[in-house]
Amino acid sequence: MRLYPTIIGLLTLLLLSACGGSPDDNQSAAFPAIDNTEEVKAYYAERPDFFTFKTIADLPQDLTWENGDHLPEIGSPDAKKGGTEYVRLQDYPRTLRTVGPDSNGSFRTFLLDNVSMPIAQRHPNEFEYFPGLAESWSVDWENKTVYVKIDPQAKWSDGNAITTDDFFFMFFINQSRYIVAPWYNNWYSTQYTNITKYDDRTFSISVPEAKPDMDSRVLGLSPKSAAFFNELGDDFVERYQWRFETTTAPYLLDDKNLKKGRSVTFTRDKNWWAKDKKHWRYRFNTDKIHLAVIRDTSKHFEAFKRGDIDQFSLSLAEYWYEKLPDTDPDVAAGYIQKTMFYNEHPRPTFGIWINTSKALLDNVDVRTGIQHAANWNLVLEKFFRGDYARMQTSSDGYGEFTHPTLLARVFDIDKAQEAFARAGFTKRGPDGVLEDAAGQRLSFTFSSGYEQYKDVLTILKEEALKAGLELRLEILDSTAGFKKVQEKKHDLHFVAFGVSLEMYPRFWETYHSVNAYDVAFLDDGSVNPDRKVKTQTNNLEVLALREMDKMIDQYRMSGDKQEMIDLSHRMTELHHEHASFVPGFVQPGYRVGYWRWVRYPEGFNYKHTRGATELFVHWIDKDIKEETLAAKKSGKQFEPALQTFDQFAAP
Amino acid sequence: MLNLNPQTLKRLRRFREIKRGYYSFLFLAGLLVVLSFGELLVNSRALLVHYEDTLYFPTYSDFRPGTDFGLDYDYEVNYRELQATFDEQGSDNWVLMPPVPYNPLENHAPGGVFKPTSPSIDTRHLLGTDTTSRDILARLFYGTRIALWFSIAFMLAVYAIGITIGCAMGYFGGMFDLIFQRFIEIWSNIPFLYMIIIVFSVIPQTFTIPAKIVILLTVMVLFSWTSMTYYMRTETYKEKSRDYIAAARVIGASNTRIIFRHILPNVLSTLVTFMPFTVVSAITAITALDFLGFGLPAPTPSLGELLKQGTATLRTAPWIVMSAFGTLVILLTIVTFIGEAVRESFDPKKFTTYR
Repeated sequence: MRLYPTIIGLLTLLLLSACGGSPDDNQSAAFPAIDNTEEVKAYYAERPDFFTFKTIADLPQDLTWENGDHLPEIGSPDAKKGGTEYVRLQDYPRTLRTVGPDSNGSFRTFLLDNVSMPIAQRHPNEFEYFPGLAESWSVDWENKTVYVKIDPQAKWSDGNAITTDDFFFMFFINQSRYIVAPWYNNWYSTQYTNITKYDDRTFSISVPEAKPDMDSRVLGLSPKSAAFFNELGDDFVERYQWRFETTTAPYLLDDKNLKKGRSVTFTRDKNWWAKDKKHWRYRFNTDKIHLAVIRDTSKHFEAFKRGDIDQFSLSLAEYWYEKLPDTDPDVAAGYIQKTMFYNEHPRPTFGIWINTSKALLDNVDVRTGIQHAANWNLVLEKFFRGDYARMQTSSDGYGEFTHPTLLARVFDIDKAQEAFARAGFTKRGPDGVLEDAAGQRLSFTFSSGYEQYKDVLTILKEEALKAGLELRLEILDSTAGFKKVQEKKHDLHFVAFGVSLEMYPRFWETYHSVNAYDVAFLDDGSVNPDRKVKTQTNNLEVLALREMDKMIDQYRMSGDKQEMIDLSHRMTELHHEHASFVPGFVQPGYRVGYWRWVRYPEGFNYKHTRGATELFVHWIDKDIKEETLAAKKSGKQFEPALQTFDQFAAP
Repeated sequence: MLNLNPQTLKRLRRFREIKRGYYSFLFLAGLLVVLSFGELLVNSRALLVHYEDTLYFPTYSDFRPGTDFGLDYDYEVNYRELQATFDEQGSDNWVLMPPVPYNPLENHAPGGVFKPTSPSIDTRHLLGTDTTSRDILARLFYGTRIALWFSIAFMLAVYAIGITIGCAMGYFGGMFDLIFQRFIEIWSNIPFLYMIIIVFSVIPQTFTIPAKIVILLTVMVLFSWTSMTYYMRTETYKEKSRDYIAAARVIGASNTRIIFRHILPNVLSTLVTFMPFTVVSAITAITALDFLGFGLPAPTPSLGELLKQGTATLRTAPWIVMSAFGTLVILLTIVTFIGEAVRESFDPKKFTTYR
């Protein structure tokens, strides 16, 4: 009888351990089995124009293959592998999927954006491509096609070879409605016209237009594992919610390293196939990346100061100057290093977007007045403490494509008042706001979804009042702010569009009339009197100019770089004259603070990077970490390290 | 109303005898008066400007362009600069500034950049500035004013609804009582913080700040009046069965008359003792909501917003959290002192006429 409880105890233990087994088992038990192999095949067969199967004999013979081998290595040969990097997560990821609802968060950079291997990658200094999954590639500009040979070594994290089929599958999954991602569906259906298989390692992808950066559209692609997504179906969103995707990246995630709500730990794949590849071997150095959830920013900073977090972005002046000044004991003792790095990258368009479909704001004189009433210089001086620079045009940072001489209008009360007077606003009311003859006040709402920049808006508001312009502030949360501009309900809105590293600026999204009104112009070219504002587009200025449309169309069709540069300049000028965008500021680089055991290559980082850890060229030196922690205890000091790397600063 | 009965007079005398509560009351009353005329004490506009033999009182007037005082700009005069200019010129012209020459919304950065500066008499930022160089004293001053007016308005509204419904429930009883009791039980279980978050995510952002404050007040009142009804209901039940009510009813007094002339004055003592504590909880609630970012809309000066800034800058600017916290402690202590004194002086054990 005494045995009974023991047996029950043992049984419970067994049961518990069964429950605690690999979560994958549970997941597959919960979902009905799916095998989509046949469905995928049928999909390809239905679309022979898009998915073409040929033999290696069909491969054109006269192709010139390139492999970017001449490009310098990335990272430092001194880099040591090993150690754990401690990073903060603002919020626990809502999913491990890299596509579909909730997947497009900052956590994805660790799953996909910064770690996965594309066919080839842009060299962060040279702008040319070095090989990733490809052994070599060939660009056929005439036929708008890129040919790729996959590296025979290339393997998925599950050990299988990466083949042409995985690239076919990439189109299948991204075009499929299962992933609940309309943008991807659209992009992968319209921006590519064909993929052709020559053999398991050789394929070609075609694009609709031969733009000067046509090659980037193809070379930047990353395949999707057909084997892993074998169960793709209607329940994709739930089924794949917590499955770590079979990846091309060096960092892997084991389910046991997933502490729901608390932390995520990635481990480095020591047998990663590309670990000795020329442009990859000195990158992805730390053995583990431990991401812990710290919601509050001030707590994050305290964790960094304690050494629980290795690096901290000091881009905000408040942190660079006050919270971690050069005189801070940890900085002065050399435990924490501070670095300013100037990069070269297209700049996010921080500025005031004026809705020209609103009454009064459709008047160019009013808009010009607003331009002169915006005291950005004071913002730069008082809020950014001279660290940032004024943005001159809406397309800064694109090299030759950026207008070389055009400057943004400066704050000038007299000029602003002259412009307002031309629009009929001549008299000041009892509170100092200009009024026109009919008693209408010169007053607009000035909204933004950026809480962190609310003081910028306050400064602009106070200064604008000096010119007789009233701005009624409206600080929204980011979702509400974005919704407001997407519905074109704003008067003046402060926002920026993020920009990726591209050769030339885009104009169609923001300035073409098809994104402004349903039918902007009548057939004879005159303005349609009944036109309706089009919502959910990026044309936040509701800008509709025939001349602009023509140039944009020409720009989009053009394959001639010089012509595009010329058009880009002319469009920028026209946009400047239209005065519907008040250029704000540009950040010339980034600043970080890091403990001295975090090491960077000589020269710190690369020209076209947006953040210090983007390329994973840093490493953790365990010996220095021990030394530093011991020194901190004993009070031993090191040489303070306050560095500025301005080799890529604008002249 | 001023025709007080001897019992009330006795209570008031008793209240005066409790020194701590009485002086707290005087202090708070004085504070409310001072806060009402706050524009004369804490303001960036001058109290008095003497310019070319004319006196100007800009505090409550329309804006005056710089050209009115011989300056070369036509936007609102910066009176602090004007004072400096007049001083330099050494003419008969002079400017009299309020003791705190800043308004709660202006960013005045003595060092040229926006950052917290420590308290200083030279710059006349007596409690320093906050993270965007706004004068903390000015923000505390107007923040307190808004919090106090807000909580008093909150109290009045809550009592108006609570008393009406509570009395009606107690007086009419029966089905009316039964239905309302169930309704209140359900209603009071709706979490009020979530409701505020939901309501604020739905209302259009184009509403003006005063409108948003009124909405916040309304939502808070809508979810706070229920607790008052319980007391009122029981008190009314109790009073209703007394002989004097029966007498009034026999004479033929109407329900309204009975409730307002007979019952209400007799249950007032219960109400009065709750009042200060309702104010305390309203101040706490509005501060907590501001701290969480769901309270008064920015840039309204508020204690909670200052506390939030203060906790984020504990290391670099401890004076922010100190002044906000200090103000809150003083304010809440004073109101609580008043509440205690009121409770004690209205204690029926001491003054009840019924045995």
